[in-house]
Amino acid sequence: MTDGDTELELVMAMIRQEKLGDVKKALVEAGAPHMTVTNVSGRGSQPAKTSRWRGEEYSIDLHQKAKVECVVADVPADDVVEAIQEAAHTGEPGDGKIFVLPVTDAVQVRTGDSGADAV
Amino acid sequence: MEMAEVLAEGVNTVWALTVIFLIFFMHAGFAMLESGQVRSKNVANQLTKNMLTWAIGIVVFFLAGMGIANNFGSAVGGGEASALAMFDAGSQGWVMWLFSAVFAMTAATIVSGAVAGRAKLRAYLSYTFLLALVIYPVVSGLVWYAPGGTPWLTGLGFHDFAGGMVVHGVGGIAGLTAAWMLGARLDRYDASGKLQVIPGHSITFATLGTLVLCFGWYGFNVGTAATVFSVGEGGLMLGDYSYVGRVVMSTTLGMTMGAIGAAAMTWKRTGKVDTLYVANGMLAGLVIVTGTADVLTPMGALALGLIGGLQLPLVFDFVSRKLKVDDVCAVFPVHGTAGALGIVLFPLWSVNGTPVGEGVVSGGLLSVEPGMFAPQIIGVAVITVWTVVATAAVWGAFKAVGQDRVSEEEEQAGLDTAEHGIDSYPEFGRPEAVTDGGAVRTDGGVQDD
Repeated sequence: MTDGDTELELVMAMIRQEKLGDVKKALVEAGAPHMTVTNVSGRGSQPAKTSRWRGEEYSIDLHQKAKVECVVADVPADDVVEAIQEAAHTGEPGDGKIFVLPVTDAVQVRTGDSGADAV
Repeated sequence: MEMAEVLAEGVNTVWALTVIFLIFFMHAGFAMLESGQVRSKNVANQLTKNMLTWAIGIVVFFLAGMGIANNFGSAVGGGEASALAMFDAGSQGWVMWLFSAVFAMTAATIVSGAVAGRAKLRAYLSYTFLLALVIYPVVSGLVWYAPGGTPWLTGLGFHDFAGGMVVHGVGGIAGLTAAWMLGARLDRYDASGKLQVIPGHSITFATLGTLVLCFGWYGFNVGTAATVFSVGEGGLMLGDYSYVGRVVMSTTLGMTMGAIGAAAMTWKRTGKVDTLYVANGMLAGLVIVTGTADVLTPMGALALGLIGGLQLPLVFDFVSRKLKVDDVCAVFPVHGTAGALGIVLFPLWSVNGTPVGEGVVSGGLLSVEPGMFAPQIIGVAVITVWTVVATAAVWGAFKAVGQDRVSEEEEQAGLDTAEHGIDSYPEFGRPEAVTDGGAVRTDGGVQDD
């Protein structure tokens, strides 16, 4: 890394799609507004639900979720995790999970800056 | 020509052309209904089949189909020989040719919904060619066409007003037969034979198509009362329009009760009101009154429409779980059984019958015409046997030479890619395969029972 001591971390959260607005707001308040959002499907503790086509039932065990990815350098990852956890929380199974991963480097395409400056 | 004759011919032609255009528009309905019920990888294929059914079928029907119907009808019904092709039919002749052709093309296009998702395009189009050339002309020659004579089944007393059996019964039964010969889509039954649900890609298109069909059906049924005026000794008088209101009433009540019947049956069976079954129910309710809309009592229209809707889930379950035939768009319950049931059950509510309970409602709760049961059953049986045998022979021949369905790889990739080189929804991401069960399911859905 170019500036040596600042660690880069990826906060990756699977959340309820309807909580995306609250999470965006919370990330702005936490000082980490940059994010990537993807529609994903996945399985956790949320029970399967039933759907139908022409009256025939089938169960859906992969639930539609939003994946929020946020690379942080100057803002502590713990603060971002806490912000997402509070904003995405309902207390019911299916609230999602948050993972924190180390990132070896980052480069900003426009400026060519790398490391913490790129984030 | 006398003034009255000119007036009658002019008005009748305006009405005939109006309903022809309405019936033509049903192809837009079929295109939306069927493409909504298939997966996003088979949409362009379904749409192409619908357009080419019309295109190829019409040309065949002009060159020989209409002529074969007329001449076959005359040969068995004691009529006169007539031209095979329609080149010199003349102005009125061409109007009546197109009037006949739009009914024929409706029968043809129904089959495409049953064989969706795996039939080869050239196999389907070859079948359409033969349906317009022989299969439909034979049926319609037995019931409607025998210039100078009386069509054989009609001579026996068989009554099919607008094609409940001739058009819809034939389409539905041919669809079931073709789907049976073709085998199910790869993912429809798992290794143990258990049925897998394969949802279509758009309930919105399916519903739009249904309502477009309902609109066009007014042309189909009400337009079969084809003559507004006739000219008698007293001059101008009403022709088929003397009873047109009964057709309007039967058609509308059948359609609406079909939706109610299907909604009620799915609610009773699953605790939910199934949208696609409600849509199918409107059509089954229309089909079931199509054959006898001119001779039904109001109670008959209500009862038959309800039966048309109620039978849908039961027949579809029987076809998919017991017969294990993959009728993708449910054309057999919607067009086949509904068409045949309407023809066979109508003598319970005939305007020429003996009313039962006329004190309760005008026309009677029932109005039984016992003499009509035999001819109706004979007609349905004859048409069913011919349709099954002819359709099985054609698809059996395709199968024997390995030309009936696309390869497994092509089916997995989708017919849009395999047959047309098209991705119907390029901006929505490709429908990539999920490994469990081989089904393309991003929601991970699996069959419950």
